[in-house]
Amino acid sequence: MDTVGLILIRGAIVIVVLLTAFAMMTVIERKMLGYFQLRLGPNRTGPWGLLQAVADGVKFIVKEDIIPRDADRLVFRLAPIISVFTALAAWSVIPVGPPIEVGGRPVPLSIADPPGGVLVVLAFGALSVYGVSLAGWASQSKYALLGSLRASAQLISYELSMGLSLLGVIMLAGSLRLGDIVAAQDRLPFLFLQPLGFIIFFISAVAEASRIPFDLPEAETELVAGYHTEYSGMRYAMFAMAEYIHMITVSSMVTLLYLGGWNGPAFLPPVAWFGLKVALLLFVFIWMRASLPRFRYDRLMDFGWKVMLPLAIVNLLVTAVAAALWA
Amino acid sequence: MDLSRVTFLTLAALATVSAFRVVTASKIMHAALWLGFTFLMVAGVFLTMGAEFLAAAQVLIYVGAVTTIILFGIMLSEAAEVRGGRDPVAPTTPKGPAIIRRFILPIVATLAFAAIMIFVYSQAPWPDASAAPAGDTVRLLGSALFTDYVVPFELAAVLLLVALVGAIAIAVRDDHKEEQG
Repeated sequence: MDTVGLILIRGAIVIVVLLTAFAMMTVIERKMLGYFQLRLGPNRTGPWGLLQAVADGVKFIVKEDIIPRDADRLVFRLAPIISVFTALAAWSVIPVGPPIEVGGRPVPLSIADPPGGVLVVLAFGALSVYGVSLAGWASQSKYALLGSLRASAQLISYELSMGLSLLGVIMLAGSLRLGDIVAAQDRLPFLFLQPLGFIIFFISAVAEASRIPFDLPEAETELVAGYHTEYSGMRYAMFAMAEYIHMITVSSMVTLLYLGGWNGPAFLPPVAWFGLKVALLLFVFIWMRASLPRFRYDRLMDFGWKVMLPLAIVNLLVTAVAAALWA
Repeated sequence: MDLSRVTFLTLAALATVSAFRVVTASKIMHAALWLGFTFLMVAGVFLTMGAEFLAAAQVLIYVGAVTTIILFGIMLSEAAEVRGGRDPVAPTTPKGPAIIRRFILPIVATLAFAAIMIFVYSQAPWPDASAAPAGDTVRLLGSALFTDYVVPFELAAVLLLVALVGAIAIAVRDDHKEEQG
């Protein structure tokens, strides 16, 4: 059994890695967008502009932290905390590789791998609505409120098709434990058995992460900055942090559920395969941001309820029938 | 006391305190937030008892869906005191029938509820603590739902469907009226 100390150490490692990845993502995203648009992107701070993240971080910390006069001060302060907490907490059950041997005893490469791991990730995903909607409400500003209403509606709508498409994978794997689901993809990733489910899950994941083309909660041309219009300094940075960590989380979930997790040819260690697959998905996220325009709001809702949800239910039915006949 | 007992007592105490704050909070938004926190703590209590699926479902449904819908409703409402910002009107000392409504009825309701709960707790045949299923509770729960409890399960599903159809019927009727003028 794990001691409390070991769990705390693993938790600390996960947080440090995620926050570093967040900082690096902001730079890499700007560099990539630059190349997509035939620019150079940030290149003044450090080699290849890599220290831009540090410069940005310092700037966020020293900026004045403004709270609007009419804001609900308690909820205003609480919202970014909830956002970062839910984004980080999902990682308590995400494994990045098979257990490894350290000093003769097996060490699992996740903080915990409970039997209901998928549900835990979904539950924390459901909680992430709070940060966004409370931020918009507490700001007492039109743009922020509109942004947070859009965000809540969007997150609730796409959560449904996300959960339904995921059921197909759970049925095939016969387990809710993320480790078992990866083990079930030993020979063939579920991407090939669940192509429709993969597409629905990925689109919902983009919507859940509020990334282009689903970034209506913070559509800058209509809503200034959406739900975090009134936030400045470090509190604003916390929302950005939550968004990027969420992006890494959904990429990891797609990797674990559909791309075979850490399975791969033996010339690379399993953790490297996991990292590569997640990095590829993150690149697709940036790629989409560089190439796709934003949805119109009514189309976003129509697409979620009239296309994604029925397709997810069809996928579930077909999978259930196939699984029953095959088993 | 071992760690799990301390955890249980902490979570239970937090749940009770936040449930109390739900009814005493002066802003309805704060009350809704306390409600969400109460649900979260109850999910924690489920976890300490090894009911992992129940805890995840509690967070997904009660915190993630039910409380979110409540927040949504509050955010969409126009009333100034609901919209928050400045403090709401200070409470006045109740007189006349308000005394019955604010002090006597709640006490009666509390006592009646406590009596029912004590009766249920003293009468119910509690399962042996050692019989608690270990391991894959999700699988056990699933097979129990579709074998022993299939009729109640299907009835609950039909009930939810009826509620859904009813909600749609109400929503559509309102829409129609608006169109007519």
